[in-house]
Amino acid sequence: MSRVDVDRVSKRYGQVVALDEITITFADGEFFGLLGPSGSGKTTLLRAIAGFVVPDQGTIAFDGEQVESVPVHRRDIGMVFQNYALFPHLTVADNIGFGLDVRHIARSERDRRLDELLALVRLSGFGTRKPRELSGGQQQRVALARALATRPRVLLLDEPLGALDRRLRQEMQVELRDIQRETGVTTIFVAHDQEEALTLSDRIAIINEGRLVQVGAPVEIYERPLSLFAAQFLGDANVLRGTVVDRSTLRLADGTLILSTLPAAPIAIVRPEKIAVLPAGTPAPGNLLSGEVVQAVYSGASITYRIRVATLGDEPLLAFVQASSGDVLKPGAPVLARWSPEQTVPLPG
Amino acid sequence: MRRLCHAYLGLVLAFLYLPILVMVVMAFNRSALYELPFTFDLVWFKALAGNQRLLAASWNSVWIAACNAVIATFLGTLAAIAFARYTFRGKQLMQLLLFPPITIPWLIIGTSMLIFFFWTGIGRGLHAILLGHVALSLPYVIVVVGARLQSFGPTLEEAAATLGATPVQTFLRVTLPMIAPGVVTAALFAFAVSFDQFVISYFLAPPGTSTLPVEIYTAIRKGFTPEINAVSSIIIVISMGLMLAVARNYRFGGE
Amino acid sequence: MAAPPRQRLEIIALTAPAYLWLTATVFLPLMAMAYFSFLTTVPVGGRTASFTLAHYVSFFTKPVYWFNAWRSIELGIYVTAISLIVGYPAALALSRHVRGRWREAIFLLIILPFWSNALVRTFSWTMVLREPLNLLFTYPAIVIGLVHAYLPYAILTSYISLQAIDESLIEASRSLGATAPQTFLRVILPLSMPGVLAAIFLIFVPVIGSFMEPRILGGKDAIMLGPIIEGQFTAAFNWPLGAALSFMMLAIVLVILALAAPLLKRQLGSI
Repeated sequence: MSRVDVDRVSKRYGQVVALDEITITFADGEFFGLLGPSGSGKTTLLRAIAGFVVPDQGTIAFDGEQVESVPVHRRDIGMVFQNYALFPHLTVADNIGFGLDVRHIARSERDRRLDELLALVRLSGFGTRKPRELSGGQQQRVALARALATRPRVLLLDEPLGALDRRLRQEMQVELRDIQRETGVTTIFVAHDQEEALTLSDRIAIINEGRLVQVGAPVEIYERPLSLFAAQFLGDANVLRGTVVDRSTLRLADGTLILSTLPAAPIAIVRPEKIAVLPAGTPAPGNLLSGEVVQAVYSGASITYRIRVATLGDEPLLAFVQASSGDVLKPGAPVLARWSPEQTVPLPG
Repeated sequence: MRRLCHAYLGLVLAFLYLPILVMVVMAFNRSALYELPFTFDLVWFKALAGNQRLLAASWNSVWIAACNAVIATFLGTLAAIAFARYTFRGKQLMQLLLFPPITIPWLIIGTSMLIFFFWTGIGRGLHAILLGHVALSLPYVIVVVGARLQSFGPTLEEAAATLGATPVQTFLRVTLPMIAPGVVTAALFAFAVSFDQFVISYFLAPPGTSTLPVEIYTAIRKGFTPEINAVSSIIIVISMGLMLAVARNYRFGGE
Repeated sequence: MAAPPRQRLEIIALTAPAYLWLTATVFLPLMAMAYFSFLTTVPVGGRTASFTLAHYVSFFTKPVYWFNAWRSIELGIYVTAISLIVGYPAALALSRHVRGRWREAIFLLIILPFWSNALVRTFSWTMVLREPLNLLFTYPAIVIGLVHAYLPYAILTSYISLQAIDESLIEASRSLGATAPQTFLRVILPLSMPGVLAAIFLIFVPVIGSFMEPRILGGKDAIMLGPIIEGQFTAAFNWPLGAALSFMMLAIVLVILALAAPLLKRQLGSI
């Protein structure tokens, strides 16, 4: 179990900058998610840590020991590939035992470890099957067991659940987390979507165009994004632009004042679930914007409202509301969108 | 319409197989000038067994084809691995260079080999023929094995590396088993290419020694002997059998 | 993109053996032949050779050469055309009107003779063409033999490019009101052009260079560039002349390909 230090790692392919001075420390035993749009460099970073990509600049170290010049097969890592990459010509047992076999581990020790791992991924008894006889979820578990067999210092997962359907993916997410807690191995994974990143990770890094946007625990990044990109990439955000009047007040174009408890900035966001939607004219404290319902989508437990607010222009205000009463406001209804000053998030960047 | 198409295909197939069938049937006919009526007889096949020239030539053909299969498959597989798993400047050019042996008329390739070998002292002979056959087989081997390598991408080998396998271990435990069907196909192909090869062998064969196709050619030019019929029938059966094996292997060997 | 040094070593180690072999047996010999084509005689047995263009000149001045070069080209055109005229419909029939396992089986049957011994197949024609057809040792015999040899090639490449046509394109054409012949002319034929062009390229070149089939099926009267070149090396021992004629043949092939290249590019670019 290692700490991984990535220090100012850069990589370019011709004109394209894949990684731009990325610096992150992955703590020992952490479950770390890499998130970003496609082409952002998150897979390149993962492969750099694995050793398939050699950085042009910067260093990568496992527990302080530099590894950029160490070839892949000597880095003592475990990797689960997007398409699992199970060896079709070997049985499940031989696949899982592959890492042990190339290290010439004694037979008895190998078999013992194999039983352990099969039990860990709940595939005991499947040892003699071939990969093509297994379902997607089962193959994924074999790939995981195989990567863990040699007790690697770092476990790297490249969108491991991407090929599974939604229900199976959610099941596997829980299992993955449990296994990781049990083994305690430092795990870095490229997330398939933000939901996955949020639910699984101890910490997340958002990467865009090769650059690190923000690093932190899910709650931290979600509640306190440091840039518009981070705010909009992780979850939905209503964007408020205006001029700063004083330490805690933002004035919008039509003069409406928005209050915050954090120091104000020209751009601020408010998350949709923090907004309460009230019939127009209701007296209420806090930040108020009046407008008209454009669309109401009922999803059983919640309702999503899109509200046209004159001062915000064309982009409607998004609000997620618990359907506590079952009443759904109709399009055209005049409403008041309300949130408290603590929920206004000014963006420092 | 469908019936018309089936009939047309039948005609085409008839055209393709007619001469071959005639030849094979006539090989079993007693008449030396292969006139009808047809009387079944194995006389020409027995005569074959006594024809020293033909037997020696057959042995040469088989021996060269086998050596060719081994050498060409080995060299070609290495090159195929380089093309499939590495990117480098000049790769396209090198792949382009594989075209001349199969697109330039063999007449030109054969005569140029003759000139060059003569000039450099290699001369004519079975060794020269082997040199030529390997050159002709290489492009086919590289394409066949290359296709097999493409079919499973580098991810499996990357996975092996992450599990601690050295490049050599990865090759032996993962790459080789995976390409085995392709390598076998390529070897069979190379054997067939060499066994059937006429033009190059013709120019590089010294007087007195030759391969089976060359021997058959000289016999045809000198005049018809029915033994030629017999040995030709045998060759055609072997030839087609080999190709059938290649086709089967290629389809069922992969996933 | 240049590969890192250690990788470079691996790449060289993997490709060198095969390419050294090819250099020694194909590329160097071709260069040697080019050199020889400018010599007056074969430099052996005390004879000295000097540089000359006479052989190349004689190609243009002596009718026996350029006329028969034309005969070879003519043969190439006949064989290629007939192979395609017979083969393309066969490929069409196979790809559109035969289903299931039959299709693979018939495809295999068509390809099989092609990959078997060419010499023996040519020889087998001598049997059929003797009596009562009495066609042996005539020009048509050569054409028949060559068509028989290369027809599978035409069917193969046409079939492959026909197979590559997405069925939904044909369905779209029909849904837009095109009749079957119209769909064929407007959709299927144009999209299968790469296969046709590949066939032309793969048949035309070897036919021009053939000498075995003309000799066996055409007898002593088979005078074409191929047999003439062969004769320089086996009978006449005039290797320099043979070399020069070979390069002229190569030049003819390249010129024809160069003329066809823009057509090829247009077809291949439209995929």
